[in-house]
Amino acid sequence: MKRVVIPGEMVSDQRKRLGGNVFVSNGKIYSKVLGISDESDEKASVIPLEGKYFPQAEDVVIGVVSRVVFAGYGVNINSFTESFIPKSAMREDLRIGDLVSSKISYVNELREAELGFPRKMFGGDVIEVTPVRTPRLIGKNGSMLELLKQGTGCDIVVGKNGRVWARNGNIDLLRKVVMFINDNSYKSNLTNSVEAFFKAEGIQINIAPKGEKKVAEESEVLDAGSEESEVLGGAESEELN
Amino acid sequence: MTEEKIPDYKKDKKRVDGRKMDELRPISIKVGVLPNADGSAYLEWGQNKVYAAVHGPREALPKHTQNPYKAVVKVNYRMTTFSVPERKQPRPNRRDMEISKVLGEALDKVIFTEQFPNTEISVYVEVIDSNAGSRVACLTAASCALANAGIPMRDLVAATGIGKAFGELIVDLDKNEEDAPDAVDIPFGIMPNSGEIVLLQMDGLLTKEEWDKLVPMGMKACADVYAVQKKALQEKFSLSEVSEKNVEAVIEAKPKQDKEAKAKTDAKTEKKDSKAKKVRK
Amino acid sequence: MRQTILENDLSKVVELAKQGKRLDGRAFDEMRDFTIELGKCENAEGSARIMLGQTELIAGIKMGVDKPYPDSPDEGAISVGAELIPLAHSEYESGPPSFDEIEVARVVDRGIRESKSIDFAKLCIKEGEAVWVAFMDFYPMNADGNLFDAGAIAGLAAFMSAKVPKLNDKNKIIKHEYEGKLELKRMPLLTSFVKVGGKIMVDATYVEEKAAEARFSVSTTEDGYMAAMQKGMGGSFSVDEINYMIDKAFVIGAETRKKLLKQMKQ
Repeated sequence: MKRVVIPGEMVSDQRKRLGGNVFVSNGKIYSKVLGISDESDEKASVIPLEGKYFPQAEDVVIGVVSRVVFAGYGVNINSFTESFIPKSAMREDLRIGDLVSSKISYVNELREAELGFPRKMFGGDVIEVTPVRTPRLIGKNGSMLELLKQGTGCDIVVGKNGRVWARNGNIDLLRKVVMFINDNSYKSNLTNSVEAFFKAEGIQINIAPKGEKKVAEESEVLDAGSEESEVLGGAESEELN
Repeated sequence: MTEEKIPDYKKDKKRVDGRKMDELRPISIKVGVLPNADGSAYLEWGQNKVYAAVHGPREALPKHTQNPYKAVVKVNYRMTTFSVPERKQPRPNRRDMEISKVLGEALDKVIFTEQFPNTEISVYVEVIDSNAGSRVACLTAASCALANAGIPMRDLVAATGIGKAFGELIVDLDKNEEDAPDAVDIPFGIMPNSGEIVLLQMDGLLTKEEWDKLVPMGMKACADVYAVQKKALQEKFSLSEVSEKNVEAVIEAKPKQDKEAKAKTDAKTEKKDSKAKKVRK
Repeated sequence: MRQTILENDLSKVVELAKQGKRLDGRAFDEMRDFTIELGKCENAEGSARIMLGQTELIAGIKMGVDKPYPDSPDEGAISVGAELIPLAHSEYESGPPSFDEIEVARVVDRGIRESKSIDFAKLCIKEGEAVWVAFMDFYPMNADGNLFDAGAIAGLAAFMSAKVPKLNDKNKIIKHEYEGKLELKRMPLLTSFVKVGGKIMVDATYVEEKAAEARFSVSTTEDGYMAAMQKGMGGSFSVDEINYMIDKAFVIGAETRKKLLKQMKQ
C-alpha cells in the first residue's frame, strides 16, 4: 500500500531493513521527508517528492557555469554547493551559462561533488525538472528514457540532477511529456500510459532489452564523452512501477 | 464603539468571537506558491496572513558564517508596513530580530542539519496582515515550506499561542484578548509526534497551576494545527493511476498565450497603432 | 520550481527577439495576464495583491495624520516605498536599501504623484496643523520581472480602494471607522519596456530583463498626459524608439486601465 508521508510520520513499527530517507527512533521507523512510502516493501524507505540533488559518485549530471575565475569555473549542479572545474580540465574556454555534462567522480564529506570528464554541451535545449524525481524519467533499466527517445526522435541526456538536455526531434512534445512525467512521477501506470500515448499518435515504439550494442550506437549520436544516464540501485534512487 | 470587547463568561462559555476556550481561529495553508523559492507556503490564520519561503540548503555566505559540521538555519521574520494597525517603520526592529532568532532556534532542532555542512538554510517569513499570533503562524507556515523544499526533518513544528484573558485559560489569543488587563500570551511550538517543545516564550503573570492546565490545552491545539499542515502537504498528491487519456489531455492543451492571443493581438496592433497617433497630446 | 538562468536562455531570448518572438510566445506589445485582489490586508486602509504572470506583488496603504510641510500648509501628501525582500528572489539580499529598490519605489511614486490624480488640498484636515499622509508600500512576493508596472497597478488599485479613517475632535484616528475614499481624479499607469537584441518589448519577465540592454518606463493617464518617465539600465534609446514606446504606452495603459476597472468592480 503506497501512501504520501510527511517528515516525522511513522513508516513502520516493525523491524525492517532501512532504505533511504528514514530514521529510527524508539524502535520505530519514521520518514525524514515529504515522499511516498510503501508498506509492502520489505525495506523501509521513502521516495522523496521534492528536493535538490544529492550528489552521488558515478551519476551523470548536467551543470551550468555560474562563475568564472582565474583558476577555473564554478558550476551549478542544482545541489547544496557549487562544484568547481579547474581550467586545465576543459578543452575549451567556458562562459557563464554554458552547459557542461560530467560524471561525478567523488563526493566528499561536505557533499561537494568533483566533476569527472567534464564536456561542454553544444546547442540543444534544457528542460528543468524536480531533481529528486529524475529517476522516473529514466525508468527501470532505462525504459522510460528509451520511450522518450523513440517517441520524440530527440537525442536526450538526462542529468540525475534534474536537467534534461535534448537536441533534434520534437523538442516541444518532449518538454510536455517530461513535465507530465515530472508532475505525475509518484503515480502508477506511468510508463504504460506514456507508451500508449505515443502509439496512439502513430509513433513506432520498439522497446528492446538493454544491451551493449544499443549503448554504443547512442554514444555516436551524442557528443563524445557524454554518457547516457543509468539507473542506479540503492536507496536514494528507487523507481516505482 | 468601545476599544475592548469583554466576554460575559457568566452568561455562556464563549469568547467574544464565539470561540470555545480550546478552539482555534480558522487556518488555511497552501504550499508551493512561490516559484522562485525552493519551498514555500501561504498561510491564513484568523486575520493573520503570512508568506514563507525557503532558500537552501545553499552555500553559506559570507564564509565565516559556515559551520563545518552542520547547516546554519536562519529565519528572517518581517512585517509589511501595512500589516499592523499603526503603520510600522520599514526597517526591521528589535522585536523582528528577536522573533527571527527564536523561530530559527525552533527549526534548528527539527532539521537534519548535520546532513548539510557548510550550508545555510534561509527561511523568509513575511507578515502582510496580523491580529495576534503572527509568530506562531509564521513558524507553522515555515515548517510547511521546509517540507515543500524537500528538506529532511525529524518532524514538523506546529505552534499556537496559549494563555489567559478575562479570567479564562484559552488557546490562540486574538488581539482583543492580548490587550486584556490580565492577558498572558505564551507562544508555544512543538514537534507533534514527540511532544518536544521547541518554541516557548511568555508575557504576563501566571500561576504554576494555570501553566499545568495550559500544557495539555497547548498540545491538543498544536495537534489541530498539525492536522491542517499535514493536509496541505498531502493534498497536492493523489495516488491515482495514470491513463493514456491523462497524457493526451496535457499534451493536447494549448497554452493560452499561443494561438488565439497572437491572432487577436495582430489584429489589435494594426487598429491601435493608428489610434495612438491621435491620443498623444 | 527554481529556475537557473542558462546562457542558452539568455542568448535564446536575444535570438528570438531578433526573429520577432519571445520565450513565452507573447507579442512584443503584449502584457502578461494579470489578476488583482483588493482588501486582503485588513489592517491596511487599502491594499491590492497582483499576479502579473508569475510576478506576485502586494501593495498596501496606511493613512496617517501629520504636520504639513511649512511651504504647503494646506496640503496633504503621499509617500511611496518599496522593499525587494529576499523572499521574492534569491538575488535579493536583506540589508540597507539597494539601488534597484529605491529606483522602483521612486518611479512608481512619481508616476502617481506627478499625474496630480490625488487632490492634496482635499487631504488637509486643519491648515497649518494637520494633514493626511497616505503611505503606500509595495513588496514583491515572487519576482519574475517588471516590478515597475506591477507596483504601479497594485499601488493604483490600493489608492483607489483606500478608505479614509474617521478622526475624533482631537484629530486622532478612530479605529475601525471610516468616511469616504481617497477619490483619485485620474488613473495613472506605468508601462515599462526593455530593449533586447535591438527590439523593444513590453512587460519583461525576469529572464528578459537579464537579457536586456536598456529599460524605459512612462506613466500615462486616460486623458492623454504623460506623468513620469524613466530610462534605466545602461544602453540607450533613439528618439524614434522613445516615441514608439510612448505611443504604445498610451494604448497599453488604456487596455490595462480597462482590465483593472473590470476586476475592481467584481
